[in-house]
Amino acid sequence: MVIVEAKDLTYTYPNAEKPALDDVSFEIQKGEFVILTGPSGCGKTSLCRCLNGLIPHFYQGELKGKIVVNGLNVVDHPIHELAMCVGLVFQNPENQLFALSVEKDVAFGLENLGIPRKEMRERVNWAMETAGIMDLAERAPHELSGGQQQRVAIASIMAMNPEILVLDEPTSFLDPVGAKKIFGVISKLNESLDVTVILIEHRLDLVARYANHVVVMDAGKIILDGEPREVLNSEKTRMLGVGIPKVTRLFQLLEEQKALHSKKVPIMAEEMGELVRGALKA
Amino acid sequence: MSVFDGLKFRGISSPIHMLDPRIKFFYVCSIFVVAIIFFELLPLLVLFLFQIPFVILARVQKEWIRSLRGAAFLASIIFGTNILFRFIYAGYTLTASDVEYASAMTLRFIALVESFSIFFLTTSPDHLGLALEKSHIPYEFCFAFTTAVRFVPVLAEEAQTIMDAQKARGLELEKGNFLRRIRNYIPILIPLIISAIRRSLELAEAMEARAWGAIEKRTNLYTLKMKRNDYLLVLVSIAVIIVGIFVKIYVSVPTISNLLGF
Ligand SMILES: Nc1ncnc2c1ncn2[C@@H]1O[C@H](COP(=O)(O)OP(=O)(O)O)[C@@H](O)[C@H]1O
Ligand SMILES: [Mg+2]
Repeated sequence: MVIVEAKDLTYTYPNAEKPALDDVSFEIQKGEFVILTGPSGCGKTSLCRCLNGLIPHFYQGELKGKIVVNGLNVVDHPIHELAMCVGLVFQNPENQLFALSVEKDVAFGLENLGIPRKEMRERVNWAMETAGIMDLAERAPHELSGGQQQRVAIASIMAMNPEILVLDEPTSFLDPVGAKKIFGVISKLNESLDVTVILIEHRLDLVARYANHVVVMDAGKIILDGEPREVLNSEKTRMLGVGIPKVTRLFQLLEEQKALHSKKVPIMAEEMGELVRGALKA
Repeated sequence: MSVFDGLKFRGISSPIHMLDPRIKFFYVCSIFVVAIIFFELLPLLVLFLFQIPFVILARVQKEWIRSLRGAAFLASIIFGTNILFRFIYAGYTLTASDVEYASAMTLRFIALVESFSIFFLTTSPDHLGLALEKSHIPYEFCFAFTTAVRFVPVLAEEAQTIMDAQKARGLELEKGNFLRRIRNYIPILIPLIISAIRRSLELAEAMEARAWGAIEKRTNLYTLKMKRNDYLLVLVSIAVIIVGIFVKIYVSVPTISNLLGF
């Protein structure tokens, strides 16, 4: 089932000369784990903003083409309505927490929606449990590490029970350990709750294993869109300077020298290990 | 800064912390009323001592002392000007009762600081925001208030970082005369303001993403519910006002210099 559909989407910020998104078309199926990547300034964040209506409702500017999310045409629905089916987690964890305690922050969206207190309490506890921050419930945001803050942000979005979870470089302010924990939480949501995940990420080494759909952008356009191994192994992707997994690159080099061969391009270290072991045996 | 330090909430649990902030505010008002109707030292002294059990019950003695120390400077100004006026007014002489009057004015100020610091030291800003909401103040204001409190430590840290960065580039804050020193702070203020603007934009986006303004009547995770101790404090506050007014009208308060036989 298609859950996000964009058709000939072109968007220009107010007073900008060039469009930030230039004739973009793609489809995302329900339950997919999508990685969106591309060089800085290529329009990834702008695309996220289109998914929950920040573009065009908050940013104004000129939007052409069509974008439909969970059956709702973004242009025709206010942000708070879209927010119930698309949760957006931002890059800087610090600037998306408002309250003075973690649980109050997780409740913020539900309060805005007018959810009754009893149900709110249940959903808040569930979201904190899922994000592994139950023990932080009463802490103030500024006492937390960046990784903990980002998990609070994810919990507060998940409490609103969205069908689609969009994360815009959620780990760029975090250390690798904090980042790994975030990815763990996201993949759990994707697998056990069938939440559609759209993740913008540069550290493909860490996340390629979770994806079943990769989209590469450059200069406001979609360059590649498809199955992860195919996209990550493509010459185009590498030429853009996208940091493809090191094992994939290693495989490409070894294959060029005819030292290694496989139909299935490795994107995780384990797969590469197996390939090498197989080659050594032969 | 130290005055504010003495007002900073710390999340510990005590019977005073558990009280409904509205009731605590009512208590502050009752102290306020009694403090301003008296000009004599004795009742103000009683008022000052009366509040100490609250401080001990709330286990905030250390912070409370710090807030008093922070108020010491203003208190000494109040004392000084009062003495000076009395001195000039009385034709350049000073009696014991003048000193007592000046002390009373100072103690009045200190008793007020005391009650405010009990209030702020034992009320979490979240609960304060909630109390504001329940007092029919528009939610936007309450939200602005709690968010401002939330970002105080963040901005303070950022200011420090910018200051360090500018110092590392050779900015000398302590150099020059008064005006010059104020000018020295411009390279710190500008990045701070720009970053605050960017931050507020990001916050606005994040609020939108969490369905800000979806419906008129939003709900709240917490409730304020009056408990036994709250009713008790209401009674205490009313008693304070009644006793205060009664004493003011019907009892002629002796001055301490009289008592001591000056
Ligand atoms: N708020 C904005 N106003 C005007 N232009 C913007 C704004 N945000 C981004 N842009 C421009 O849109 C283009 C795409 O930016 P962005 O979507 O942030 O890319 P990415 O997230 O991939 O780094 C850039 O050229 C950027 O300068
Ligand atoms: Mg971006």
